[in-house]
Amino acid sequence: MIDILFIGLSLGSILLLVSLGLAITYGSMGVINMAHGEMVMLGAYTTVLCGKWLGANLFVAIPIAFLVTAAIGFAIERVVVRRLYGRLLDTLLATWGIAILLQQAVRLEFGLSFFGIHVDGLGPGLQNVAVPTLLQGTVAVGAVALNSYRSFVILVTLVTTLATWIILNRSPVGMQVRAIIRNPHMAAACGIDVKRINSLTFAFGSGLAGIAGVMMSGFKSIFPDMGTPIAVDGFLVVVAGGLGSLSGTVMSAGMLGEINGLIATATNDTIARAVVFGVVILIILLKPKGLFSFKGR
Amino acid sequence: MLRLAHVDSFYGRSHVLHDVSLDVPAREVTVIVGRNGTGKTTLLKSLMGLTDKLTGQIAFEGREIADQPTFRRARAGMAYVPQGREIIADFTIRENILLGGFASPGSSRAIPPLVGVLFPYLMENLDRPGGVLSGGQQQQLAIARALAANPKVMLLDEPNEGIQPSIVEEIEKVITRLNREFGLTIVLVEQNISFARAVAHRFAMMEKGRIAVSGPIDALSDDLVHRHMAI
Repeated sequence: MIDILFIGLSLGSILLLVSLGLAITYGSMGVINMAHGEMVMLGAYTTVLCGKWLGANLFVAIPIAFLVTAAIGFAIERVVVRRLYGRLLDTLLATWGIAILLQQAVRLEFGLSFFGIHVDGLGPGLQNVAVPTLLQGTVAVGAVALNSYRSFVILVTLVTTLATWIILNRSPVGMQVRAIIRNPHMAAACGIDVKRINSLTFAFGSGLAGIAGVMMSGFKSIFPDMGTPIAVDGFLVVVAGGLGSLSGTVMSAGMLGEINGLIATATNDTIARAVVFGVVILIILLKPKGLFSFKGR
Repeated sequence: MLRLAHVDSFYGRSHVLHDVSLDVPAREVTVIVGRNGTGKTTLLKSLMGLTDKLTGQIAFEGREIADQPTFRRARAGMAYVPQGREIIADFTIRENILLGGFASPGSSRAIPPLVGVLFPYLMENLDRPGGVLSGGQQQQLAIARALAANPKVMLLDEPNEGIQPSIVEEIEKVITRLNREFGLTIVLVEQNISFARAVAHRFAMMEKGRIAVSGPIDALSDDLVHRHMAI
């Protein structure tokens, strides 16, 4: 039983990494970033490229993927999202377009494949990343043997979530972010550069998705469309947890991860996914503001 | 210190301020009076850049700021105490005050001593959430937040609206002290004419989005008040 709960916990961890970024950009800034899943995809491909071109392993890929996806997120905010604040449907469509663009950029190897140039690690096919030997096998905790890689994923998620919490609640930048969430006009009147902080927030959320991509690359094959279903899961977590509530996102990710893990072990993945969808629909019907939303928006 | 010339201001398509020109001299209190819905709040919001569109000129200390975003105006030394106070309920009192400090970058992020002098109650309850305060205390908090910016001019929008009478007098005293003792330039939107007369040096009477009359406070006669403010 413990190993099943453990699998659920590691699934929930990946979900949390994906949805933390969404919780910040969607829950806080009111931007539905359809390209969020693509940040996960790009994080995974960064791991692939690090391995192939730099000979670097997954550990090295974590900070690199964070920086790469954060930079891309920053650019997306600056060029597109910034012009569309307060226009929900427009941001949805525009970021969806960006998502397709990014998928095709990877599939077509930045367009170089038209000229017969092949970039090792990109392209339409599947890519795989080797888990470092250090994380292969199991670690014994008491009488239970736990999968090392899954433990690592949980650890990375813990550290990242803690770091996010500290940045949001204990730093001047985090205070500015929280002020903007609650009252953007008053925040500006207090001298906060709302646009600049929003760019940084968006970049940070994208960077978290990049880390999720690195973690994901140790579990699954990597391909250009992998981001879409992941983003859907991320949105489910955020909506079920309650908009703008960091603790709600944490709880909801853990809950959905466990449900997925438990049902998948008892039956199979497809039924597990159906049950997760069912649970989320039920939550939205019964508590439209999400399970853990303490303050209405 | 602050000079508006031919300012027109809009929310969406509705044209709220029409050709407003006004001088706010340094170290004085300028009071904006008029009936409800005549554009007093919009005037303050226009000064802070919080309306949707604005034409005309606003000079602050000789620098043109009409095309500057809100946060730059705040950093230039304009502090805003809005109607309804708009403090953040789930921030602590300390956080609410420090929020104002983002307008003076490079400052040590500390609560200015002046806040302690004016509002000892706030200093004793720094770690309580702002939402538990009464209306009057929230008003004090909003003023404290504005002071944390170390401003050159403070814009106050009906600071005594919806506040228990016992605290009204306190807040009036604070506003008077801020100007008389600490030399702060103040633009005050106020309905209470007797307080306006007591504290202000100059007035501007608004009607239908325009400034109907303005001048030294002595010129704010009962006749004028009756003509423009009687319902």
